[in-house]
Amino acid sequence: MKLSTLHRCFQGVIPSLVATADAHGLPNITYVSQIHLIDDRHVALSQQFFNKTRRNLAENPHAAAEMYDPVTFQAYRLRLRFLRSEKEGPLFDTMKLRIQAIASHTGMEGVFRLIAADVFEVTRVEKVEGFLTDAALPDAEVAPTGMRTELRGLQLVSDRINRADDLENLLAATLDALDVYFGFSNTIVLLFDEPSQRLITIACRGYGGGVGAEVALGEGLIGTVARERRVLRISGLDEGLRYGRAVRRSVINESGSVRPEVPLPGLPDAQSALVLPLLIEERLIGVLAAESRDPFAFGEWDEAYLGVIANQIALGIDRVIDDEAPAAEESAPPPRPTPPPPLRARHTLTYYRNDDTVFLDDEYLVRNVPGRILWKLLGEYKKQGRTTFTNRELRMDKSLGLPEVKDNLESRLILLRHRLREKCPNVQLTPAGRGKFTLDVAAELDLIER
Amino acid sequence: MSNPRLQEWLQPGASIIVATADAEGVPAACRGIAIAAGKEPDTLILYLPAATAHEALANIATTRRMAVAASHPLSHRTVQVKGVTRGVKLAPAADEAFVRQRWDAFAGVLDEIGLPRRILLGVAHWPAFAVEMSIEQIFDQTPGPNAGAPLA
Repeated sequence: MKLSTLHRCFQGVIPSLVATADAHGLPNITYVSQIHLIDDRHVALSQQFFNKTRRNLAENPHAAAEMYDPVTFQAYRLRLRFLRSEKEGPLFDTMKLRIQAIASHTGMEGVFRLIAADVFEVTRVEKVEGFLTDAALPDAEVAPTGMRTELRGLQLVSDRINRADDLENLLAATLDALDVYFGFSNTIVLLFDEPSQRLITIACRGYGGGVGAEVALGEGLIGTVARERRVLRISGLDEGLRYGRAVRRSVINESGSVRPEVPLPGLPDAQSALVLPLLIEERLIGVLAAESRDPFAFGEWDEAYLGVIANQIALGIDRVIDDEAPAAEESAPPPRPTPPPPLRARHTLTYYRNDDTVFLDDEYLVRNVPGRILWKLLGEYKKQGRTTFTNRELRMDKSLGLPEVKDNLESRLILLRHRLREKCPNVQLTPAGRGKFTLDVAAELDLIER
Repeated sequence: MSNPRLQEWLQPGASIIVATADAEGVPAACRGIAIAAGKEPDTLILYLPAATAHEALANIATTRRMAVAASHPLSHRTVQVKGVTRGVKLAPAADEAFVRQRWDAFAGVLDEIGLPRRILLGVAHWPAFAVEMSIEQIFDQTPGPNAGAPLA
């Protein structure tokens, strides 16, 4: 029996058992959240604490594992011989990322971490005959993925990315295509804001909102992927988080307090996630995250083609942001502005200078650069009655604090448009040709600066 | 008579796993079905499925050494008991209801976290062997920096 045929057992959905014995033959049993498949003769276990299993392996290299198919619950037993501990290299880095992400998410970074990847030779693998009775379900084979369909989907996604003329269209078209052609219905794109070292949700699909949500670099699954610039594919997310929370409770009992858990920015009951850094060479553009309630939603094949799409998105974002350069801004004629509807509502907008925050009628609206942009636009609207603005004039305005290079102005305007759409339908930003937009106000506005 | 340190894990719903080793010190792992307090102080009864426990039974016939861990799947709170076997017998029919009820409770817990109960109930769990074990050591094995510490 080849180990690679048991790939579902290696996804970490159901914990495996590992038995060891000391030099005198005294046995020990423990759960491991995931056995890592290296090749058909080797597996690896994560070493996170210097525990009894580690001490036994130092005395006696023999070990045994029992693992379970998460679809059928069929058991398989492996006879193992410990070979070595790896503390660096590709295997270590791959195993480390999952643990780091779970640890970071549960506020346990530094408490549970990968000490080493323990590599074993598999000397025997066998199906546990009689483990399932005749009444149990037969092996359910997961339908093979249709490479041809997905390659066609890849071409269509790529085509949409190439044709998008601004960032908002690019992201909307890409996430739509991922849903339609690949069935990824819960996806998020976050852009990296270098000055604040945070990732800001700029587009999402399947969540009913969420644009503007932020994650710090290194925080949770998404922040860890961004910091490490490596792809993370997790099955059995729920089980991994339960394990992290068990460690967390244990540490709280010991030391009293720990950092709060990071809320997942997506589905509260996600079972699997695929998180990819958006990179151009080593430069971090952002993160693409897909998640699912299906624990087997993402396999190696998904990781491969979503990796191609992530590269395309990164290049596409870079392209449309470059296209926003001042020279291009005069190219499109501005459409005729729509006359605003009669003013009925009245809103008070308050800008707090100390933290660049704008509140709408005592409710938080937006902050930082998008907040400063909004305040500038509203100020000029009130003083001069202006309703048409250009990206160029925003770039020239030093008071907005945009970086000289790669200012991500387009992404900040998208964020602002989304926040206004969600929170203040009476004040809208409407694109009016490349590099231009209008401020559409359908209410009386009182502006207060504090 | 049950050991007071084990009370929490003698309740229905726990996951039971077992290690044994042969005379050469080569370990084996298998899943248990249930544990119960033994009649003597500091003893417990471990139920192993007859269909899949051959290797464990062969090992304890020669070395008598066992390690049994009981864990709550929702919280990962885990305890490990080490000791020697006092005797092994085919579990009597009078124990069948208890064994089935414990496995059903475990299946119910896993059902809560997404593994359908019907799949667990397809796992062979009766007939079973009843292994009486003397408890020598008890360890906290809840994941974390204190895993492996003797249970006070």
